[in-house]
Amino acid sequence: MKKFVFLILTFITVIGSAKAQLKVVTTYPYIASITKEIVKDKAKVDYLASGNLDPHFVVPKPSLSVKLRDADLLIINGVSLEIGWLPPLLNQANNGKIQPSSSGFLDLSLFVKLIQKPESVSRAMGDVHPEGNPHFHLDPYNIPLLSDAITSKLCKLDSQNCQFYQDNNKTFKARWNEKIKQWNTSMEKVKGVKVVEYHKLFDYFLNRYQMVVAGTIEPLPGIPPTAKHLENLIQTIKTEKVSLILQDVYHPLKPAQFLSEKTSVKYVILPHDVGAVSEAKDIFSLFDEIVKRITND
Amino acid sequence: MKKYLITALIPFLTATASEVDELKKQLEKQQQIIQQLQEKVKQLQDQQEILQQTRGKLQNVDGRDPFEKMLSNPFSQAKFVPDISLLLDFSYVSRNLTDDTYKQVQIPGFNHGLFHSHDGHEGEGPYNPERGFNLNYAHLYIAQTVDPYFDLVGIFHLRESAFEIEEAYIKTRQLPYNLGLKLGKFYSKFGRLNEKHHHYWDFVDAPLIYYSIFGPHNLLEKGSQLTWLAPTPFFLQFGLEILQGDNENNFNRNGFTVNTKQNGSGDNIKISDTKKPNLYVFYVKPSFDIGNVSILSGLSYAQGGTRIDHLTDDTPHAISGTTKIYGADLTVRYNIDSYRYITWQSEYIYRKFDGTRYGYNNVGNLITPSLEKKQGGFYSQVVYKFDQRWRTGVRYDLINKNDVILNGVNQNQPDNLYRYSFMIDFLPSEFSRIRLQYNYDKSLFLENERKPNQEIILQFNIAIGAHGAHGF
Repeated sequence: MKKFVFLILTFITVIGSAKAQLKVVTTYPYIASITKEIVKDKAKVDYLASGNLDPHFVVPKPSLSVKLRDADLLIINGVSLEIGWLPPLLNQANNGKIQPSSSGFLDLSLFVKLIQKPESVSRAMGDVHPEGNPHFHLDPYNIPLLSDAITSKLCKLDSQNCQFYQDNNKTFKARWNEKIKQWNTSMEKVKGVKVVEYHKLFDYFLNRYQMVVAGTIEPLPGIPPTAKHLENLIQTIKTEKVSLILQDVYHPLKPAQFLSEKTSVKYVILPHDVGAVSEAKDIFSLFDEIVKRITND
Repeated sequence: MKKYLITALIPFLTATASEVDELKKQLEKQQQIIQQLQEKVKQLQDQQEILQQTRGKLQNVDGRDPFEKMLSNPFSQAKFVPDISLLLDFSYVSRNLTDDTYKQVQIPGFNHGLFHSHDGHEGEGPYNPERGFNLNYAHLYIAQTVDPYFDLVGIFHLRESAFEIEEAYIKTRQLPYNLGLKLGKFYSKFGRLNEKHHHYWDFVDAPLIYYSIFGPHNLLEKGSQLTWLAPTPFFLQFGLEILQGDNENNFNRNGFTVNTKQNGSGDNIKISDTKKPNLYVFYVKPSFDIGNVSILSGLSYAQGGTRIDHLTDDTPHAISGTTKIYGADLTVRYNIDSYRYITWQSEYIYRKFDGTRYGYNNVGNLITPSLEKKQGGFYSQVVYKFDQRWRTGVRYDLINKNDVILNGVNQNQPDNLYRYSFMIDFLPSEFSRIRLQYNYDKSLFLENERKPNQEIILQFNIAIGAHGAHGF
């Protein structure tokens, strides 16, 4: 028995010491895309959730624990977006380095200004996030704040490559700011346009470009629409002169189609994350695609 | 002439160009200065504001000493309130067996009635024991991170007449080598279903084989659990548990004294306690994905000493020996999209007991035949979540091995104990569930006569507060 235990321990030690390259795991693909811009080939970057599925309801497949097991850094979105699926995975992974409050843990929501923080919360309001709207990455102006935060964290964990990360971040931000100028120009023509969305998913983006949300297809966060709610929404669309229905890739399409038929207002399917649609390959093309689809270019 | 003029202009032009550059630089500098000044002004304004607020606070408006109005609560720890949630399990039951019959029926070869009650011992009954309304429990969950090293979880079942510590354990956060240590009272990770709380089961009740072997509370024990996630490219978890051994169907650890005569006039024979801790559990759980399909399987083994004392019953008896339990499980889950999935889950459990039975013959003399039990069965279920708020499922239960061998003679216990279950549940939100289940149960016997049981259970499972997320 003693020999057996000794053997196992040696085995673990050998495998444990074989690590060299920094391993970063992010919860969502958009974080992985930003991180890749900064680390290039100096670290391995992987993500847990698929970009084409509901970010609130990720299946905690055991295989995801395997990714967490080896990670040196875990970067999460925060604002309770991961609360329903990440804790059991973290618990199973038994990786002390990436526990919240450990040095290998980064919560991006701490670096941006959140909107729609409810003054009081009750679950009678549906599945609300007490801290505010968690989908902050869809404001293009937030992305450089996130890349700065990621760069600082990487510098702390891997000081040898710090200069490399900072240079990449600089290049990334310069490219990003160029892109923002393009998007700003394209989005100029939809300023003030009223829209309806399924879930309060695109609010940061819409706020940035002064588009107005007249209503949501789901009556309350996380509660599917009822016939009565859709009837009311048809009225809203007509009286408020809504000119676009925004649909995400993971909620059922039927309600949007129904609204579109009844009001002859067009619906458009928008990606919310990298990988949500095939064109959204990285953080740049994600926003390219959103802008393209929303402006119908 | 023109040529001459242009040549004369060149140095002049270059001079202006460099001047423009200079001007630009100066402008930039000035802009920087303006920015710095603006920031300073803002800082000053902020300070002014704070100053005014402080002055306001100190102003003596209503004649009271301003310092008395400034309340301080320096020792409040309100922000450290742990996650607390309360979960209610309430049901309505319609059953063809009367409550009286239901209290007496047993699964032959396994238990002394579903309620495991006998003289001097009021056992824990199954969920939904009565026809009509049942308040099964209120489940109180309290959990928080203790410090950088531990998490603490407490789960309490409040029944109308009991307050039970369902689970209370600490788990490490920072052990090296992907090791995790749990200490306290908790559900063993033996098998697939054992670790899951009742409110997270796919059906109202436990599979027959679980209930028969482990009793109403599954394998719930005090002790320690060490888990290790192996450094393999797929998920491979190993676990070792050293437990006290409290499960009254298998591992009761306290010895007993038996008299050689039923009337107590003979000599006492003392059967010692088992060694403590008494129960060892080992398991390995591999898992991998193929596209949208996740597969989780497991092999489990439990072994411990057995001491069961029913000497105060009408037919006094006791057993002493060793129990070994083997389990194999397989879960295949196909994720259709964010809200829909199909899960097929099956488990086989086999128990082997070896030991001695202490009982009395017709004339009241102690007889101690050897007792051997080889019992096994499985369940297989399919659950289909076909909508964001709706799930349906079917389950088939079968106990197909039920050998109870006394002194080498098989007692011929029934070994075709089976049950069909069907359920449909509606999830108004993530925090509530209403489930309707139908059972057709052919596992229950009353004095060698099979008592088919049909039941319809409407279950309400409602949670408030901050509840920890559930795993796969």
